[in-house]
Amino acid sequence: MARSFPPDDPFRLSATRPPRAEKKPRPSWPVRVWRALFSMRIDKSRPRLVIVMLAFMSVFGAISYKLVHYANQPEEVAQHHFPVTEIAKARPDIIDRNGVVLATDVKTVSLFAEPKRIIDKDEAVELITAVLPDVNARELREKFASKKGFVWIKREITPKEREEIYRLGLPGIGFQPESKRIYPNGTAAAHILGYSSIDNTGIAGIEKYIDTEGLAALANAGLASDATKLAPVRLSVDIRVQHALRDELAKGIDRYKAKAGGGMVIDVTTGEVIALASLPDFDPNNPKDALDPDKINRVVVGTYEMGSTFKALTTAMALDSGKINITSTLDARSDLRYGKYTIGDFHPTHRILTVPEVFIHSSNIGTAKMALAVGVEGHRAFLKKMGQLDRLQTELPESAEPQVQKYWNELTTVTVAYGHGLAVAPIQAVMAVSALVNGGHLFPPTFLPRSADDALAISKTVIKPDTSEAMRYIMRLNASNKLGTAGKADIEGYFVGGKTGTADKSIHGHYDGKRVFTTFMGIAPADKPRYLFMVILDEPQAVQGTYGYQTAGWNAGPVTGAVIERVAPFLDMPKRFEPPVAPFPTMVKLGAWGTK
Amino acid sequence: MPRIFHAFAIALLIGSAVYVYKIKYDTMGLRYEVVRLEKQIAQERDLIALLKAEWQKLNSPERIQMLSDANLDLVPLTVSQIIRWQDVPDRQAPVDSIADKLGALGLIDHSSSSKSPDITGSVKKKD
Repeated sequence: MARSFPPDDPFRLSATRPPRAEKKPRPSWPVRVWRALFSMRIDKSRPRLVIVMLAFMSVFGAISYKLVHYANQPEEVAQHHFPVTEIAKARPDIIDRNGVVLATDVKTVSLFAEPKRIIDKDEAVELITAVLPDVNARELREKFASKKGFVWIKREITPKEREEIYRLGLPGIGFQPESKRIYPNGTAAAHILGYSSIDNTGIAGIEKYIDTEGLAALANAGLASDATKLAPVRLSVDIRVQHALRDELAKGIDRYKAKAGGGMVIDVTTGEVIALASLPDFDPNNPKDALDPDKINRVVVGTYEMGSTFKALTTAMALDSGKINITSTLDARSDLRYGKYTIGDFHPTHRILTVPEVFIHSSNIGTAKMALAVGVEGHRAFLKKMGQLDRLQTELPESAEPQVQKYWNELTTVTVAYGHGLAVAPIQAVMAVSALVNGGHLFPPTFLPRSADDALAISKTVIKPDTSEAMRYIMRLNASNKLGTAGKADIEGYFVGGKTGTADKSIHGHYDGKRVFTTFMGIAPADKPRYLFMVILDEPQAVQGTYGYQTAGWNAGPVTGAVIERVAPFLDMPKRFEPPVAPFPTMVKLGAWGTK
Repeated sequence: MPRIFHAFAIALLIGSAVYVYKIKYDTMGLRYEVVRLEKQIAQERDLIALLKAEWQKLNSPERIQMLSDANLDLVPLTVSQIIRWQDVPDRQAPVDSIADKLGALGLIDHSSSSKSPDITGSVKKKD
């Protein structure tokens, strides 16, 4: 060995250690491990380095793994610290068939407090009531004294109020942005849209329908607080037609001094409701307005004896049964007697009438005889098939059960034949008459867009196409023939057909001849109907120009005419300048009355 | 040589540290910007919704009708006003009444002037 180490050099090799070390007794194993761990000798430090290396690698590995893990994590969503049910949730916009906004959300701010965090409650009450004079100080003090973590002070405050409250700098007082429902068209489509509460929950109409169709579930899952994520709900309603209908109806009610009224425009090929109005109505922006029982939706919720418009159903039933055909004659020379009841005609003819004549003269006797030809059971079964005996449920949550007599005897059939003794919702009658004129396809009306094919797919064929043609023919005849009652609705160029109905109102169980309920059902164009127009008037009076009459031909008829004239240019129904060629070929072939 | 290498390594270390911090602060800045823009988008969207509602309120058929009744002489369209193209009467042959008058006074040749009434005023050259 050339090199020599100082005796205390720690790096010298063991082989060069003085031999006295060997004389020492070998230490026990824990001591050896201990020494080995802290031994500074380079030749023995390899395992130690490996351990340190592994330790560092595992720590850095864990850090890297965590980093990658966090990077891949989706970004955390800011959590609301309010329970979802407390805040007004967002609602989808409602638009009409042309995309016009009928209902929308705007953002407002509501003022809330967390009583536990308020330092000086009395001062807070004083300052807040100074800014918001309509907040009751005593109630507010009670609210602040409660143990609740969260209380509303005032919902939907103005930006100015917000600014002033903000400047007060009170701890424990906060602002919560909320959605407020706005109906920019006001009363126009009130009964269709319904309204929503301050928490933006649908209470009535389509608003409630939207909630039941899953918005409520979305809101509970906390997903519906952003209106931009909700697709707008498109209705079948056309706001222009809706406004025109309501306006003409209002004029009609005013002119004929009626108590109330209703109207409807429906596409008979699809069942889409284009417009539906009921007066008096309310402003959905002010929901308290809607609670007045006089403001119910008369077309959907009211049930009425429809009077002579029901004769359309009776006639169709008789013709479809084959027991009566369009050339059959009915004896209307004398009144019908059932015990103490006598059934007569309003405009007595005292002669033998053909089916079209019965219809245009609106003969009770003739119609009753048609119903009797079919029989009590057949009559009932037909009305059941036409959906007149059961509740009709549309998208609107509101509906009405028809008032059907429990015991149905021959007299019942006779009276129901001309629309007394059975009260139905007008929308139900509209559904039935639509089916009578559209070729016999019955489908429920809808407030949502629907194609003709979809309507056919869910339809039920209720009468034969020939019967439907006969119905169109006699309805047209009722408007075109000077003896008919629907002439006032015959708007030039639209080939209108129609049926009037005047029902005596039943007051405390007996009919009052002075109080009537008038209806009109108009179809256009009668050769191939596209739209059905309905107008109902409750207790119209005989006024100047109606020659003392208060029957439907003098009030509901002209109102319908005004509606058709006003809305026809909006509808998918061009004016025709030539009368249609051979509109009713089967009727001509059969030689029906009035075709010559 | 190792010294230069060390100096280079230290410089690289400091450089990368600075670079990492720069990225970090840039990201933070962008993040604030994203939040700010999102808030602005939400505000604009709310404003659009409000304006749309106001637009429809101002354009609601009821209001338009009220304004029209109050301020315009328009009356509702009647069905008889809707006519076919071929029912629109032809334009009447234009009548040059001034030329006719001048002709009647013998100032100009009446027959020629009424034959070409579309000629507009011009100065004729004298022979």
